[in-house]
Amino acid sequence: MGMTTQLRLASTWLTLSAITLFAWWMAAHHGNGPLKPDPAVALGALAVTVIKVRVIIMEFMDARQAPARLRHLTDAWLALFVGAMLVAYFA
Amino acid sequence: MTDVAREASPGEQSRALRVPGQPDMWVLVMIEALTFSAYFVVYTVRYKMSPDVFLQSQAHLYLRFGVLNALILLASSWSIARCVDRARAGDYNAALNDAWLTIVGGVVFMLLKFHEWSVEIGNGFTFTTNEFFSFYYFLTGMHLLHVFVGFIALGVVIYQLSSPARRSQEIIETGATFWHMVDFLWVIIFALLYVMR
Repeated sequence: MGMTTQLRLASTWLTLSAITLFAWWMAAHHGNGPLKPDPAVALGALAVTVIKVRVIIMEFMDARQAPARLRHLTDAWLALFVGAMLVAYFA
Repeated sequence: MTDVAREASPGEQSRALRVPGQPDMWVLVMIEALTFSAYFVVYTVRYKMSPDVFLQSQAHLYLRFGVLNALILLASSWSIARCVDRARAGDYNAALNDAWLTIVGGVVFMLLKFHEWSVEIGNGFTFTTNEFFSFYYFLTGMHLLHVFVGFIALGVVIYQLSSPARRSQEIIETGATFWHMVDFLWVIIFALLYVMR
């Protein structure tokens, strides 16, 4: 508690914001090629999204310090989400 | 307790493992997450069926609005996380300031969303323009509804913090959990509508 948690939360926020800005920069520099489905962009966006959502759940929502059951539940949802999105995109 | 020692940083080892806030809120978060996941999968299926329409329409969104909104919600999520930690430590005045800051973030998000919608409508893109814009207004609208419910949750947090007679840590954490969900749902909607190709 106290200062260590505050520092941890601040670094979590900095990390998430940096990832968001980096993804923006990547998207902006991907060029204006022909408008067609781009699996690399889709996979990259999905990967970045899942990482950010999991960090929010673990650090901001404090699932890190909750019983393992809770993490298993949220991770099961994330796995289901990723699986379903991959099937929807590539099937 | 070995689990705590392994995962928590030194100052945090005294806390036992427990679910933050009321477990019912986590049930709600998972139901919402599954519901929105269904929307996201349906969106992706429809996108793959007519990528041209979706991609041409997506090119008319302003990526900077989506990014700015993501940054605003991340900052407000950080703010309510600080609030929970400070309330836990008994620093209720600082916690109250954090809760108000969180609401300010939500209000700025909402105003920016209204502005973005009015710009898109001004450009001639409405709910009925095509399937992409139907999804766009539906998903961002559903999300904004959750922001409004989040204002109620944050109001309850502020009500709890503002009197020494209340200050239930469990209720404060419950409100915070809902607000973080509003944040992570936007993270996904942003990637889907603005970035995915």
